[in-house]
Amino acid sequence: MKLTLTLAWRYLRGRGARSMLTTLAVVFGVMLTFGLNGILPAMMEAFTHNLLAAAGKVDLTVTSAYNQPFRPDVVDKLLRVPQVVAASPGVQRTAPLPRSADAAPDALAQLVVVGIDLPTVDSVRDFPLSQGRMLSPGDNSAVVLNSDLGAELGLGIGDQLVLPAAGGTARFRVIGLLDTTTLPGQELVYVSLPAAQQLFGLGTRITQVEAVLTPDADRDAAELAVGAALGPDYQVGGLSTESTLLASLQVGTFAFNMFGIFALATAGFIILNSFRTVVAERRRDIGMLRAIGTRRRTVMGMFLVESLFQGLLGTALGLAAGWALAAGLFAAMGPMFESVMHFRIGGPIFTLSTWVTSILLGVGVTVVAAVVPARAAGRVTPMEAMRPQLGEVYERRTGNRAWVGLGLILMSLFGLATGSAMLVGLGSVVFLVGIALIAPAVVNPLADWGARPIELAFSREGAIARSNLQRNPGRSAVTVTAVMLGLASIVAMITMVTSIFAGFTSYLDKSLSADYLLMPQSIILGQGNVAAGPRLADQVRATPGIAAVSTLRITQARVDGADVQVIGVDPENYLKVAAFDWNAGSSDAALDQLRTGRWLIANGIYAAQHNLVVGQAVLMDTPTGPRTYHLAGIGNDYLNAKLSTLYASQDNLQRDFTVTADLLLMANRTPSADPAATKQRLARIVGDYPAFRLYESATWRAEQMQTFSQSIIVFDVLIAALALPSLLALMNTLAISVLARTREIGMLRAVGATRRQVRRMVMAESLLLSVIGTGLGAIAGLWLGYALVAAIGSVGWQVPYEFPWSGLLATVVVGITFGVLAAIGPARSAARLDVVAALHQE
Amino acid sequence: MTTTTASIVEIAGLTKVYGSGAAEVRALDGVDLVVPEGQFVTVMGPSGCGKSTLLNLLGGLDTPTAGTISIDGTPLGDMPDDRLTELRRRRIGFVFQFFNLIPVLNAVENASLPLRLDGDSEANARATAWLERVGLGDRLGNRPDQLSGGQQQRVAIARALSTEPALVLADEPTGNLDSKSAGEIGGLLRQVSTDWGRSVLMVTHDLRIASFAQRLVLMRDGRIVDDLMLDGSHEGPRLALERAGLL
Repeated sequence: MKLTLTLAWRYLRGRGARSMLTTLAVVFGVMLTFGLNGILPAMMEAFTHNLLAAAGKVDLTVTSAYNQPFRPDVVDKLLRVPQVVAASPGVQRTAPLPRSADAAPDALAQLVVVGIDLPTVDSVRDFPLSQGRMLSPGDNSAVVLNSDLGAELGLGIGDQLVLPAAGGTARFRVIGLLDTTTLPGQELVYVSLPAAQQLFGLGTRITQVEAVLTPDADRDAAELAVGAALGPDYQVGGLSTESTLLASLQVGTFAFNMFGIFALATAGFIILNSFRTVVAERRRDIGMLRAIGTRRRTVMGMFLVESLFQGLLGTALGLAAGWALAAGLFAAMGPMFESVMHFRIGGPIFTLSTWVTSILLGVGVTVVAAVVPARAAGRVTPMEAMRPQLGEVYERRTGNRAWVGLGLILMSLFGLATGSAMLVGLGSVVFLVGIALIAPAVVNPLADWGARPIELAFSREGAIARSNLQRNPGRSAVTVTAVMLGLASIVAMITMVTSIFAGFTSYLDKSLSADYLLMPQSIILGQGNVAAGPRLADQVRATPGIAAVSTLRITQARVDGADVQVIGVDPENYLKVAAFDWNAGSSDAALDQLRTGRWLIANGIYAAQHNLVVGQAVLMDTPTGPRTYHLAGIGNDYLNAKLSTLYASQDNLQRDFTVTADLLLMANRTPSADPAATKQRLARIVGDYPAFRLYESATWRAEQMQTFSQSIIVFDVLIAALALPSLLALMNTLAISVLARTREIGMLRAVGATRRQVRRMVMAESLLLSVIGTGLGAIAGLWLGYALVAAIGSVGWQVPYEFPWSGLLATVVVGITFGVLAAIGPARSAARLDVVAALHQE
Repeated sequence: MTTTTASIVEIAGLTKVYGSGAAEVRALDGVDLVVPEGQFVTVMGPSGCGKSTLLNLLGGLDTPTAGTISIDGTPLGDMPDDRLTELRRRRIGFVFQFFNLIPVLNAVENASLPLRLDGDSEANARATAWLERVGLGDRLGNRPDQLSGGQQQRVAIARALSTEPALVLADEPTGNLDSKSAGEIGGLLRQVSTDWGRSVLMVTHDLRIASFAQRLVLMRDGRIVDDLMLDGSHEGPRLALERAGLL
């Protein structure tokens, strides 16, 4: 074993540059799987962090299942549960900070106001003071906050914090600074419970109860007991809002994993090629080892250990690079998240399964890719030691694999023809496997075809280059497959991105066509936004120059035990200022139906998750009891494109949910109104509502579009990371091709080929390989992209398929550029060969 | 011919046929040969006469069509690959025309390879002792690319001898060397048989190197056409070839 290790390690080191190139392929693969998988859990974490109270000694938080305030007697019910030792009522709501015009994009946009019940709070939370004093009963216009948050807001002891309130604004004097650290997204400020109730207009109602369990209590059992004691109207533990995000995040995970696996598959092909060459180069060594008594198994083991070393090294570096990738993406995406969603995302989070999967895949792919060459090495006979080394000879082998490949391609075409999202997706992967299997059989005819344009530019060297490629179709096929995988990822990625952007733009244009929007700064996550009473809408309606006004209200319901957000629309006016993007079978008639009783519109995500069809009954738990609604239609609006949402009439929202506050107002101008004057009038009205901002639709649209284009940078980084493995594959193959033919190149030089001609010969071979790989990659990528868009659609987020013209162009450019880039190094070393030494090379 | 010592190689009716029908080639055609312990035998003959086939069969690298081979009393017969591999490792040493050293290992590591494959804990010490005997005591840590052709072949000989084999098979061991180095290797192989008591079977085209052997076997068309003892003179092999009409 020790000998095997020594040999493996020395051989690896002996061909340092090539070992590194091969290892780099593994690094990229692991980087993508590990890095990308580190991003999603972190996003989930950020969401939960933002929605979940997690501070002090609190073991358990009770909130309303409908996100409604509730009566404080819940505390008594809670205390009757044996495992609960202490409980404290409270209010926790988000309040936007008035935003100054010159504020930085990442400036803090909102605070979480926590109203604490002073007599009981000490049993559930600690407040370590660094300065000033803690709140005491009667301090109803005082606030306590973390010192680091105070510093960020520029507030010290005695300063005033101004917050928007139900009836205008409220002022609080800072009396104490706390010694605790502020978590991103958890910018908490503490006021007394009565002050918070007044601020949010809650009367004596509360929004949460925090409880502490007995030290020996089983957490899960306690949660169950509390759940049973309080009934279905209350929610124990965290808010389960994240479940609505799962659908879109799952698509993300799926796409991310697919790209990671592609990169690793590319790495596998590169390794396969490298080891095949290594085995060919070492035939004589292997023959000698066999002659002097090395067993087949030992020879195989030697190569597998070598691959294991590479796998381990590549995986280790890949993990480090993946971490850097995730951290980099977070740094790039952070500002976008803060400006769109108004919450901060922390750093990447790597779960145990991400670690295990990445390591197993990285090391596994490397070793598995080396198995075929290692077996070939074991089959080398000792006679090889007796023969002089031969140059590369034509290798002709088209076995059953090609037929299997053809079969798979036909099957995948069938999958595409069915149009079912799952079969199309499955088909795209089967297609790739089919191409990989059929490639050795078709690479030579493809090279004949592809060589024609290349021989125009490389008239003398083109033919030699083509025959060099064709004499080892196995190796060329593996290279072409690797290039194909890389470029297919690019095309698929670009298709997905362009389609998603096109989808958003279309939602944006359709559903927010009003001239003016009045809305809170953080709108997408409807939780805890400060809404306005009906007075605001009345004021806007009465403004001269305003033609139509429609508002949106929001609440939460439970269907089958899961939370869903319910948007209240005003069916009469909605279509005057906005529109739905209807799914097949639904139309504007569904809106009229909302007026006629308990009817609902579901958005695509929700309908897909619950397999809803128009006319179906939906039993909703509401604060006033269970209510049966029926589905009038399926359609999407921009704001809720990513969340599962139901739409009901505002009348029903009032009747069943007692919700009457407006969250968003949309208004249109009369044709004759003066835009500047109208805007000025509206701005005056909004001035009294600090939580709201007035947007002109055009401005708002521009802002949103800018946010999108910012995120393109993120995708550029990803696309580059996806493309690089193909470059490595090409470089690797060309380096091998030059090395394997050192003697021939020496001969060509001896009989009069100039250095330039040798260089051009290698360049032409590279271009030919990349042209074939790019062609196949474009086809496979279009298909994959289509499948991904269909997959997004199947979870209900309807995205129109957008043909990626620019992506195709980019791919062709990238493919050809890579062909040239990859050839530079090998071409130079081929041209620099010492003719005499090359001719004597064994 | 009669021998007083134990025989290391015993071949009877050895035949090797490649291809079939019109393409049939009889590389060996009923060869009988016995090599006693410690004898240095050289095999000569024109290209295609079956010398290399004979060597490959003796080394267990190839299987005969008919006939029997016994090495150091062990019949090769239908030995499975693993047993054959073990026999090669322990009882036979190989010296190749192209040295066949592992480029990434140094002299000691190369010479000790068969021992290490056998799990010998003394591998390095024993390999070093053999390298010193073949005159490379000052080159122990050098890799093949830091050694001359003659030195590389000495490492290969040390590797062949390191397992104390009964038989050393050498296939054109000087074919890739200049004449000075070739003479030195010839002398070293003679030493292997006379001083260290191993049987050596060498295939060569070089008349001068052949004269280092004690016995000359001449082959043509897969058959032994002459088998004689040499007296150490440079003329012996040439005269024998002339007599057989091979020169």
